[in-house]
Amino acid sequence: MAQATLESAAAPRESAPAPAEAKPRRSGKAATGLLTTVLALLLALFIIGPLVWLGVRAFADTWTYPHLWPDSWTTHWWQVVFGDKALGVAVQNSLFFAPLTVLVSAVICLPAAYAFARFEFPGRRFFLIGLFAANAFPKMGLFVSLAALFYALNLMNSILGILIVHVLGTIVFMTWIPSAAFAAVPRSLEEAARDAGASKLRVFFSVTLPMALPGILVAAIMSFLASFDEAQGTYLVGAPDYMTMPTQMYSLVLNYPTQVAAVFSILLAIPSVALLLAAHKHIIGGQLAEGFQIK
Amino acid sequence: MALPPIVLIALFIGFPILLALGFSLGFTGGLNHTISVIGQNVHEAQGASPTFGAYGDLFVDRRFLGDLGVTVIVTLVSTTAVVVLATGIGLYLKFRGGVLGKILSGLAVVPLFIPVVIASWAILGFYSADGFLRSVFALAGLEFPVWSFSMVTVIIGSVWTSLPFATLLVTSGLQAVPQAMIDAARDAGASFWRVVTSVVVPMAGVPIIIATTFTAIGILGSFTVPYFTGPNSPNMLGVDMSNYFSAFNQPQQAVVMAFVVFIIASGIAAVYVWANFRSAKESGAV
Repeated sequence: MAQATLESAAAPRESAPAPAEAKPRRSGKAATGLLTTVLALLLALFIIGPLVWLGVRAFADTWTYPHLWPDSWTTHWWQVVFGDKALGVAVQNSLFFAPLTVLVSAVICLPAAYAFARFEFPGRRFFLIGLFAANAFPKMGLFVSLAALFYALNLMNSILGILIVHVLGTIVFMTWIPSAAFAAVPRSLEEAARDAGASKLRVFFSVTLPMALPGILVAAIMSFLASFDEAQGTYLVGAPDYMTMPTQMYSLVLNYPTQVAAVFSILLAIPSVALLLAAHKHIIGGQLAEGFQIK
Repeated sequence: MALPPIVLIALFIGFPILLALGFSLGFTGGLNHTISVIGQNVHEAQGASPTFGAYGDLFVDRRFLGDLGVTVIVTLVSTTAVVVLATGIGLYLKFRGGVLGKILSGLAVVPLFIPVVIASWAILGFYSADGFLRSVFALAGLEFPVWSFSMVTVIIGSVWTSLPFATLLVTSGLQAVPQAMIDAARDAGASFWRVVTSVVVPMAGVPIIIATTFTAIGILGSFTVPYFTGPNSPNMLGVDMSNYFSAFNQPQQAVVMAFVVFIIASGIAAVYVWANFRSAKESGAV
């Protein structure tokens, strides 16, 4: 099906500049079309294959190598996961930390994003690059370095400590992406609203903020996922008192049957998939890409 | 207004990194006291002159040097694969579009939806001894190599997890190249490849460089993918850092590794900053 669409899409563009050449090049186009279809299938196998393979495992009872399908099916592993108290607590912890992280990060970063977009102040570019440099330091190394400070400030095994680790991982998203979104709001619109007698605050909340909202939304979702996905720092700071879903996943993989980890993986992926589907249009639409160019 | 995130970064990233730099050079007083008492094999500076003992420990250690090489190779190979794939998908979307183009770019973004822990676990299973590829080949009577717990799966996992971000950046960069310029080059008789190499890619150069540097820095410092899918040894420095810190209880050596990775990452970061300045200059901002 994809092949047919490809041919029809390519046809008009082909015929316009060189009608005489159309015939010999058509077979070449068919070969290229076939090649791209094969490459697309390989890419699909590469991307989707591992996920399907893992997903099937969550319902597998017995599975003999080299069969491509389990011999028998069961929902037993789902009961194991839902019956396990520790796993339930991990789910709760994750659902507690991720929204809180987004909130704290938004309060801290959004005003800064606006300032970076709208004001020229000394050291502006230095700070933007500083944000990026902070991102270049290896995460594991940072957590090792943080450990010394956290011991001294008594933040080890504390909610505040975990929250700090999570917020640190979201700063780049929460500053850069909304900053690009604020910068993209035309100043002429804001000025027009001012001329019509709107106060500065009114202009911000009625013009600037609604127009920048898609960018802020993408930033919030990326931050939510960053927090939801964070494992190394949480493990170092919070384990074993505060286990989140990803840190629980570490021990699941080592201590439980494969199928339990598969079930847990599906559960862990649900919020990410739901959120990203909701914001899919804006992420593909370039809000994310726009944010990663320092201006 | 710009202050809060900067203060947060200065306090919880900048300051700990400076502390760690001091610790790696043997300054074990102040806030570094606790960690230097807990840790083993800690080199202490004599007064104000730093010691490079921990650096020396590592740079004569064959295992560390091997892992450093592995880290650099994995980063190079994975980044190249990611950028080639992302550019290929972006070019297809730009020149052909259609349903297949949408499917390709949609596929490349899927990993963004999946937490890295799960991705690593799924990839490990897919290429393992009883994984899909070996099953398919076995049914056809062929023997396929076991890739789980080898650097092959680490590279596969790195490419898998880095692809969406690079694809988004590169695709939006390529889409921004004006169609009029491509048509003009075509009318002047330029072949498809000539148009790609002389017009499209140079014009989208900055986003491609940004995607490359971000991918490379991400893979260089990665932990989860090599930890789950890689061999015990040799492995990437992210895993070594964690091992030296927790399992071997040698925090000073772990911190030294972090700085080695940071120095390489800074080199890459410099390219990113340069690319951004170039783009700002072109658009007349500087």
